[in-house]
Amino acid sequence: MTPSRRTTMQWMMAAAAMPLAHWTTPAMAEGVDDAAGAVPSFDVIADWPDIPPPPPAPGYGRDPDLANPQVPWPLTLAAAQRKTVDVLGDLILPKDAASPGAGALGVGAFIDEWISAPYPQQRADRAKVVGGLLWLDAQSHALHNRAFVGIGPQQQATLLDALSVPVPIAKMVAPVAFMDTLRRLFVLGFYSLPEGKADMGYIGDQPTAGAYPGPTSEALSHYAHALGRMGLKMPTA
Amino acid sequence: MKRDAEPATNVQADVVIVGSGAAGGMAAFSLTKAGLRCILLEAGRDYDPQAEVNMFAPESDAPLRGAATPDKPFGYFDATVGGGWQVDGEPYTLREGSDFRWYRPRMLGGRTNHWGRHVPRFGPYDFKPFSRDGLGVDWPIGYDDLAPFYDRVERMVGVNGGPIGLENHPDSPPGCLMPPPHPRIPEMLIKAAAEDLGIPVRAAHTAVLTRDMPDAVAPRSACLNATPCTRGCTIGAMFQTTTSLLPMAKATGRLTIVTDAMVSRVTMARPDRAAGVEYVDRKTGLRHTVNARVVVLAAGTGETTRLLLNSGEGGRGLANSSGELGRNLTDSTGASFRAYIPALADRPRYNEDGIGGQHIYIPFWLYQQQKRGELDFARGYHFEIGGRFGIPPADAVPRVWGSALKKAVRTASGATIQLTLRGEMIPNKDSFCEADPVVKDRFGIPVLRFAFRWSQNEVNQVAHGRRTAHAVFKRMGGTILDPDLPPEKIMTAGGEIIHELGTARMGADKRSSVVDGYGRTWDVDNLVLMDGAVFASGAHKNPTLTILALALRASEHLARRLKSGAFA
Repeated sequence: MTPSRRTTMQWMMAAAAMPLAHWTTPAMAEGVDDAAGAVPSFDVIADWPDIPPPPPAPGYGRDPDLANPQVPWPLTLAAAQRKTVDVLGDLILPKDAASPGAGALGVGAFIDEWISAPYPQQRADRAKVVGGLLWLDAQSHALHNRAFVGIGPQQQATLLDALSVPVPIAKMVAPVAFMDTLRRLFVLGFYSLPEGKADMGYIGDQPTAGAYPGPTSEALSHYAHALGRMGLKMPTA
Repeated sequence: MKRDAEPATNVQADVVIVGSGAAGGMAAFSLTKAGLRCILLEAGRDYDPQAEVNMFAPESDAPLRGAATPDKPFGYFDATVGGGWQVDGEPYTLREGSDFRWYRPRMLGGRTNHWGRHVPRFGPYDFKPFSRDGLGVDWPIGYDDLAPFYDRVERMVGVNGGPIGLENHPDSPPGCLMPPPHPRIPEMLIKAAAEDLGIPVRAAHTAVLTRDMPDAVAPRSACLNATPCTRGCTIGAMFQTTTSLLPMAKATGRLTIVTDAMVSRVTMARPDRAAGVEYVDRKTGLRHTVNARVVVLAAGTGETTRLLLNSGEGGRGLANSSGELGRNLTDSTGASFRAYIPALADRPRYNEDGIGGQHIYIPFWLYQQQKRGELDFARGYHFEIGGRFGIPPADAVPRVWGSALKKAVRTASGATIQLTLRGEMIPNKDSFCEADPVVKDRFGIPVLRFAFRWSQNEVNQVAHGRRTAHAVFKRMGGTILDPDLPPEKIMTAGGEIIHELGTARMGADKRSSVVDGYGRTWDVDNLVLMDGAVFASGAHKNPTLTILALALRASEHLARRLKSGAFA
């Protein structure tokens, strides 16, 4: 059963009528309080899907060839899922004056590589991402009768906003965790590429002969101002 | 299938050395330079950093952007070969209720290929802890005994750093240290805030060259201020035995190295005299013996102890008349504290690679308060300092998407800092290792079983460290990113800092210790221990410099004995 916004409102009213100390639900055991959670603007919330565990896959082992790195495990995402990931990449980290969008840059391939790896962290992320992609399409269908990639920009934005709230209601905990995982993976995948490093203004990976030059005069000036604002003395030596 | 042991080589060795890391490398170097013929056995495979290290590849060339996995616990390009927290076919076990992690590479050069490089000297208090606070035991040697060897080791391995000028933090004499690198902005800010609170910050001592180190055999170059040190260093700027002591020892013509040689036991000529060792060739499974006048064990604290436990007669282990073998296991305490510093947000960019790790650190500064009984823990801790430009951690980035996320990443890059605590653990009766009565590795050798427990002393120390770190963060206006958990829950597990020490400790008499001040076992005159197993206490100071200094001192003592006709 999919609880409606009305049901959710009924829960909230029930919660408001109760002494807070006795208001405990399974959701609260996870640190989530529906009374305090952000209620989405849509009145249908899809169920979180069950994801069967993936088959075993090979890792790269304890002594891989460091000069020729290889990914030995098979990938997970079907073409339609991969398309959704690329669309999400261009929404989560969009093209701007500083850098391309994460989807256009191909970071979706990294997401697929990550969630397909046989290691515990990646397996946990796989359940969140694969489940989240299914949930996102189910939610889009419930609201707009189309998959996520087929709905309009404003409709997509409304969904992503609902997945980015600081404190979700119980039914949104798993979808928000999916978005957290995607954001973390897109940030890692994007900013570790040359385009992402350039976007951050990262300077490094440059062999420099002689003594380490240390901060530039501009960096030192910024530092001196920060010290002044904090009432700290310039350290000696 | 057990096969008869057969002689491994025709080499006539004065000394057989087990292990090729800091201790084994130093033993091989010192003993061959003294004219002695050595055979060195390494359990792992042959390894040459110059041929294998991928120094410059971006993390994006690696699977998972180089992220840590159970196969490569410190990242894809980390130099650890063939092992890590687990070694295939070579398990270890735990007593019920204990948690302990045992890090084992399987490679020539051992952990020196991917180590932390922070090399503080132990101070006078660190050698006489019992005399100072009545806990643990004193070492049979003092700081003055080891100081000349610290001086020489710093020059041999190449250490940069500056004066410290604090109680129990001895300064190096002129000529020992290379110049330290300039601190980075986040480090300078921590220094300003910490010193405002009365907490000292000093240039760290780091085993990375900041000047060229010429040598006819193994020339090493000054750090080029780029690439992660733990990948290994093809130019030899970071100290690794594989680019320094081992090739220099080989060049004498008196060193034979056998890799893939998993030593299973010390063999005996008579009850108080070792004959050599037996090892299993990891590739063929065949057992071989090596005979020598002296056996040096430098296999690392755990493996050296395991070897002794699996040798000798009657299940008590070899060189264990004291009953101390396997006992007194310690690791450093560990905890990490992080904060987001708004004053560092959107700061001007520049190259912060430097010499890899920290440039400055916080040495322990509360010895007088401790002496007056004002602290609820004994012994010290220090903080290692982190914080640089790069991808900000997920918890420093708000839950936003779109252009707001791109802006948030730019703002937070370089705006988080980290203080990492390393503290001294006092030996306790519940922390030890022993031969597992049932479980054997794939070679049929009984494995180690660990028992481990932090005491309230260590818990209180970490709690104090957290209060200190958070005070520094608050002085900088920082937002603390640490979870609000009891100190027991934020401490690393035993062994996780990879400073395991003490399980064959040195002492003043054979009743209370396994070896004397030169690493010589009290029970077997020609059996010498040179690694972390011999430490009588751990101090809070990273142990490798002290391992090197003790190994040099023990090797020179051993060479004098051999030349004076001992063990003829």
